[in-house]
Amino acid sequence: MSDVTLKDIQINARQESARMQHYFIGVEHLFIGMLKARESLAASIVERHGLTTDYVIDEIRRRTGKGTTQRMFAGAPYTPRADMVMGIANDLMLEHGLSEITEQELLEAILEENDSIPIRALHSLGITTDEARNVLLNPTPSTLPTPTSPTVQIEFGQQYSPDTPLRDEHYALLRRLFYGNGRIRIEAQLQGGYTSALILVVTAFGSDNLENAPVVVKIDKSDTILDEAQRYEQIIKESLPPLTARLEDFPVTIESSDLAGLKYTFVTDDSGMVRDMRAAAQDQSADAFSQWIYADLYQRFGKTWWMQRRPYRFQVWTEYDWLLPPLVTLEYGATDDPTALVIKDPVRRSRIKKADYGASIAIEEFSIHRINADRGSIVLSSGRGTEAAKRAYKIEVRGMNLEKDAHFRGELVERISGRLWKTRDEILQMAIAELAPDFDLTTPVIPGLVHGAYLPNPLILYDDLLDRYVNGSLSRIHGDLHLGNILVGHHQAAFLIDFAQARTGHTLFDWACLEVSLLDAYVMPAYGQDWDDAREAVHEINGSAGAAFTTIPDELKPIFSIRNIVRENLEQAGNWSEYFIALAFCALRASTWETMSAAGRRGAFYLSASAMGEVITTSRPSGQDTISSDGTEVDLPRNR
Amino acid sequence: MQIDLKNSHQGYFLPMSISVDIMFMSGVEDGRLVSLSSENGDGISGDAGWAVRFGRKEDNDIWLRYDSFASRYHARLYFRGQRWWLEDCDSKNGTFLELDDDDEARVSGSIPIELGQLFRVGRTWFRIQDGIAE
Repeated sequence: MSDVTLKDIQINARQESARMQHYFIGVEHLFIGMLKARESLAASIVERHGLTTDYVIDEIRRRTGKGTTQRMFAGAPYTPRADMVMGIANDLMLEHGLSEITEQELLEAILEENDSIPIRALHSLGITTDEARNVLLNPTPSTLPTPTSPTVQIEFGQQYSPDTPLRDEHYALLRRLFYGNGRIRIEAQLQGGYTSALILVVTAFGSDNLENAPVVVKIDKSDTILDEAQRYEQIIKESLPPLTARLEDFPVTIESSDLAGLKYTFVTDDSGMVRDMRAAAQDQSADAFSQWIYADLYQRFGKTWWMQRRPYRFQVWTEYDWLLPPLVTLEYGATDDPTALVIKDPVRRSRIKKADYGASIAIEEFSIHRINADRGSIVLSSGRGTEAAKRAYKIEVRGMNLEKDAHFRGELVERISGRLWKTRDEILQMAIAELAPDFDLTTPVIPGLVHGAYLPNPLILYDDLLDRYVNGSLSRIHGDLHLGNILVGHHQAAFLIDFAQARTGHTLFDWACLEVSLLDAYVMPAYGQDWDDAREAVHEINGSAGAAFTTIPDELKPIFSIRNIVRENLEQAGNWSEYFIALAFCALRASTWETMSAAGRRGAFYLSASAMGEVITTSRPSGQDTISSDGTEVDLPRNR
Repeated sequence: MQIDLKNSHQGYFLPMSISVDIMFMSGVEDGRLVSLSSENGDGISGDAGWAVRFGRKEDNDIWLRYDSFASRYHARLYFRGQRWWLEDCDSKNGTFLELDDDDEARVSGSIPIELGQLFRVGRTWFRIQDGIAE
């Protein structure tokens, strides 16, 4: 039995309709009205599938879109479908011998009608009508095991040495994730990527106090975790090699925070400890590690991923703009200023570059990419085209009253305006300035390794490169391939985790990301912290490209291995500019990352500069093929 | 409607009467079923076959009076060569067809559409419930 009354649901539905500027009551508003009621049956349906009510509400809102301020009818009429659903609910009420409709009858009626917007939303999130009906029949969850003890005891293994201690909300989430286990032991915290995710290796103990195989637990903001679970179901599940980390069960959320967690089962025998590739790289020889990247990582996953590529000609910004900081950051303020600079599709970046601080800017027909409720800001993006293009041209709008205006992820915003606070160029300049450069950031070129040699300045050249066309290929990609997302199991098997960014995209993107990650974790420690060290490391990476494997320094061998994989995946044999474009933007992004070491960021900045240099020299129209196809530098003197 | 006998030898007959049931799948009229038939004088007959019109002006067969994203004459649905086609009439905000993977494709020109497939005119979603040609 549900305690939620029809009146509660109707009040919530009317509020939802008004906030969305619909001014009518449809089945979608009634359903959201139920989701918003405390301890409703509707909420238990979505929660039993590891989703939060907010996540489902956003999915429904995306389907309806927001109305306009212009009201076209009086009152708040019911749609014909909502009327029909109310009729069914009324019949059910009589059948149940009641005098008033409760949530139970209304929900049953919506499931019986089975053709409304919320039903379509549930289906797309993987919840079938039958599964939803089961929750109605068994309101008490039967899927959860009976707990053997009221709380889960949490211990720490010897390997566990965290950077920062776990917070209360982490403990609460772990107890929920391992509900039913008397005891768990946190074995290790894996080096997270460059996101806020917390990744732990956990061993649970069954009621018989026997150890289960260790699992990988990922904890992050609930929208990110729920997206990852959706992507895993829709994109990843079918394409994994049989022995690999798999998502176990639905994600888990808690009411007291906006964090969620999920578990990856780790298919290894129980003597195998879980290590990420960063750790694994340290305890094997450079030769073995390089061979492993090619054979275990690339060939094992490649068959269903990168090797299934198809030709794809694209303009650089469509795949790579989203890696860059927001195009502009605005201070929110409604304006009717007719002289306001309008940013809409197609975006003309050159006009934005000329805008001054405080200039009036209006954004039209952009989609909401992210809502930062705690900071009162929203991030918009183009919302059109391929998955990467949808995220292109991020625009942050600060100083919004998010309590007052209903906004949701995926919402198409007709127009929003404000005053220019910061441009992308300023953010990039500031990020590199933090690294105390020994050169001028505002000139078109920056010094190379030796006196008199120069490389293009990525902060100046990147903008031109965004408009270039690339003859590349498209395949399923991981989207965030770095050393921390690759685990090593029994018999050195590679296990990928973290599918939050998995998508169909530029094939070489993953390898460019992994090269930048190797530069930070594997190469730079061998060279040092300074800008000169960065210049030397990048110079030697380029120098080793044409060399024989046995002659190159150990710390560069894994990168050599990556370049071999890239060579096989170039759309046009020998045309390396396809890869250097990807590398230039991945490295430029990494050079701004606050979570990366200063040495890694300096190295990444020079890697970006050198990759951009390759792009502009290899595509020089007059160029006879004097450029070696393996990406060896030509503008820098060889001897020093 | 006119019967084009010249075409009958090409393997199909132009039907005597065509009717179609279209349901609103979103918005304030969600759930409303509209039945249109050539026999009742609904729709228009032209070179493209029999067509029903969607738009914000009231002389459309499907009148989108509450959708400010709809153009005055926004889209047409027509029957030709034994199947239904959806055509965008250079609308401002576009006509879209729902795809299997929950994505949508913008219609430019005409594309074939199946019974039961969802399509969007302006902000409003529709579905062909049934279509009969005899």
